[in-house]
Amino acid sequence: MASSNGTLAQGSVLKGLGVGLNAVVAEVFRVAPMQALPARAKSTKSVDEERESLRSAIGAVGAHLDALGAKVGSTSAEIFDALKFLLEDDELFEVAEGHLAEGWTAAAAYGMAVDEFAELLGGDPDFDERVKDLQDLSKRVQAEIAGIKVNLELPIEGSYVIVGEDFSPADTAQFTPAVVGVITISGGPTSHTAIICRSRSIAAVVSCADAVDLVDGDVVLVDPVGDRVVVGGEISSATQAITFIETGREPIIPVRSNIGSLEDANKASAANANGVGLFRTELLYLSATSQPDVASQSASYAEILTAAPEGPIVVRTIDAGSDKPVPFLHMPHEENPSLGVRGFRLIREHRSFIEDQLHSIEIARAHTNREVWVMAPMIATAGEAREFADLARSIGKFKVGIMVETPSIVTQIADLKGQIDFLSVGTNDLSQYLFAADRMNPALGLLLNPWQPALIRTLARIASEAEAAGISSGVCGESASDPAFAVVLAGLGFKSVSASASQVGAVRSALSATSVNDAKRIAAGALEFSTAEEAKAFVTAELSNLN
Amino acid sequence: MALFTHEVTVLDPIGLHARPAGQIVKLVKESELDVQIGRPGEEFAKANSALRLMALKIKTGETLTLTVEADSEATAGEIAAQIQEFLKG
Repeated sequence: MASSNGTLAQGSVLKGLGVGLNAVVAEVFRVAPMQALPARAKSTKSVDEERESLRSAIGAVGAHLDALGAKVGSTSAEIFDALKFLLEDDELFEVAEGHLAEGWTAAAAYGMAVDEFAELLGGDPDFDERVKDLQDLSKRVQAEIAGIKVNLELPIEGSYVIVGEDFSPADTAQFTPAVVGVITISGGPTSHTAIICRSRSIAAVVSCADAVDLVDGDVVLVDPVGDRVVVGGEISSATQAITFIETGREPIIPVRSNIGSLEDANKASAANANGVGLFRTELLYLSATSQPDVASQSASYAEILTAAPEGPIVVRTIDAGSDKPVPFLHMPHEENPSLGVRGFRLIREHRSFIEDQLHSIEIARAHTNREVWVMAPMIATAGEAREFADLARSIGKFKVGIMVETPSIVTQIADLKGQIDFLSVGTNDLSQYLFAADRMNPALGLLLNPWQPALIRTLARIASEAEAAGISSGVCGESASDPAFAVVLAGLGFKSVSASASQVGAVRSALSATSVNDAKRIAAGALEFSTAEEAKAFVTAELSNLN
Repeated sequence: MALFTHEVTVLDPIGLHARPAGQIVKLVKESELDVQIGRPGEEFAKANSALRLMALKIKTGETLTLTVEADSEATAGEIAAQIQEFLKG
């Protein structure tokens, strides 16, 4: 195996947050942050030369968009066609030519022309995405002229651990089969990178600040269970995921699955999940340009309800906001979308949409004869919970509940006695609001670690107050996909957990191998620690001793 | 060549957004005719640029005036009818 040629000594341990259970050893492939674009400058060349340089850069970016379009196939290829149309816009080129005539370089002229159109289109939420597209095209054209690489250009063959600051959805879409491990310097356990790696079973460690010193050629052990990366580490030294003895028993609480599409519903059934703990309904609407009618909505729901695993199906009403806009609801731009009009708050402006959604779910429920529970996201007061419960019960034969994501509703669970049937904790958003830490800010990943004592104690309070109020409680956030954390949740008194389909099997084994008394003892112990690291280390050690 | 004027109404719920703007520009370029679009009484945009059309920020329900420089009323009418089709959403 190659030796390290970087500044980090063999055996160096870099701490981070592990994602998933599989360790891997491979060579580092550093993904450099994109070089800064050169400052806008006046040209030393002729206008004709600059015009030619602009034309050929636009041509090259256009050819790249064609290639991407061909790769993704017909359904998404339209997106790339639309981008090409913006890129090659006649007036955009004319405006840029005007700046060339003033003596600017091709890159500067195109950048200025795009800025001018972005200004014209600005302030209109319908065009926010197009303005972002335009600016991205501008960046690509300028980078092309300067000879700067914009794409990841990942290896296609071999096996590599890719190391970078954090990866955007566009980046992760380019992951090749050669990507066997991922390390991010920032980005937390709920970052896009973490979610993608978990669902594809790619070994990953995120929020690993010391990884900044890794260089191409270093061979590293990515050890997610140990929350670490070891330079020169052998696979045999990877921290073993606690293996639970297959007991053949049923888990001590039901393990449901999170789904968002028909494909997910099929996966959840294959994974032997006990029903669905979170059916995210946004996917059915995010790409629609006009509001689908009740008939087409109910047909989509019926198809998914039919495919869902046996057991109750918990459907969450739309959880959109200005960062996850539904095109036909025309949501205005907000400075702080996560603190804005989102989830159930949409009822003020869009009551008929939420009513239609519930009607569609009821038609699908009656048609498929499945047990359907409905819940609303982003409930902050007992009044909102009641409003939703009354609305849902007037429309369908559902069990009715709420998501617990805001710290405010945590203090009002007792007030909900007799009003709702169940609650489900979304630990990702609850962490974001409890720690005042933006989930989208990669620098704040460590605050969103589910082992944080403040989160565990808040969860303990939710479980015990729900119990006292006769409300069934569950957890459907990312944290419930971690088998060790799921044991803690069961021990705190939650009545079900819901994990991503890929993790259902692992969570089921953990909750089958543990007794109710063990889970209670472990959860009580976890509540005693003042740091996330200690709490996790305690639970891991206790679970290893059980076997 | 003569200048023909038509009216079209934007029925697309998102208004004159990227997709219809792109369809209009494609049609106009293929026709090789001079077509301008705008709100009555305001400055018109040449329909050879989707960005320029989008920058008019036209919303659903608005009625627009279309001028087509063509050799016959029939040609102009056909272009206008196709543009109206694109604006139905």
